[in-house]
Amino acid sequence: MLSIMESSTAQPNPDDPRSVLAGADQARQRLAAGLRLPAGLHPALAAAVAVQVGTAAYGIANHATAGLAVALAGVAVFLSVAAFSLYQFRRINGVRVDGLASQIVLGAGATSTMAYAGAFGAATWAAFESRWWLVVAAAVAGGAGYAFGSLRWWHAYRRDPAARTGGASPRVLAALAVVACLGLVTLLAAG
Amino acid sequence: MAQLDPLIHAPARLQVVTTLSAVSEAEFATLRAVLEVSDSVLSKHVSALAEAGYVHSRKGVRAGRRTTWIGLTNAGREALREHVAALRQLIDKVD
Repeated sequence: MLSIMESSTAQPNPDDPRSVLAGADQARQRLAAGLRLPAGLHPALAAAVAVQVGTAAYGIANHATAGLAVALAGVAVFLSVAAFSLYQFRRINGVRVDGLASQIVLGAGATSTMAYAGAFGAATWAAFESRWWLVVAAAVAGGAGYAFGSLRWWHAYRRDPAARTGGASPRVLAALAVVACLGLVTLLAAG
Repeated sequence: MAQLDPLIHAPARLQVVTTLSAVSEAEFATLRAVLEVSDSVLSKHVSALAEAGYVHSRKGVRAGRRTTWIGLTNAGREALREHVAALRQLIDKVD
């Protein structure tokens, strides 16, 4: 069977710019429309962020080696979930989208950033006040908001993939993860 | 005024570049499936685009087998942007 590119009937007319552009756009949309997120990505991301926020708040308020260990364990949980999700995305789809990686690992969108920052601040304050139910509530809300931001980005990407595919490369993300861990250790040691 | 780029003017070549603009990197087999072309046809396009510095390719592993990953370079994205702008200008003139 002849393919789209090889068949004379389906190939865009090279003399008609409108037809050429439409053919190229359709090919791009075919790729974007066929991409699938790993099953359970957003619930897993919400849970991982909630764990990270909760453990970091506990660690900052705790001022002990145990607190540092708990906070670092939270970071490890989050990074493991993020790395596994991105690996699964690449394995399922055969593509890498740096914009998605930035959303998952960095919460690069406004919604995710605000949800994370608000939850982290509230959880840390609650931990210093020993209001543990509030730590849990803030962490869960932050995780849900972070995942919601990631979901919104995904829908926007599907509508206009070329405008949103860019983001931090895997090497940059790995370097940032190391910096984040060192920063957390410094913060806890200084506290 | 934007200029047409002869290297990506052919509809098939433009489809390769435009499709790659949706991702950071795509596996050769994924690109082939989306564009519905043979290995040899896609290889020729990728080689020509790589020679011009519009795409980069690297060997990798997916699900335990060796694969080739292809991505647009910054020069490739810029060439695509210019070419699409030139095509849109042509369409506007006709309209």
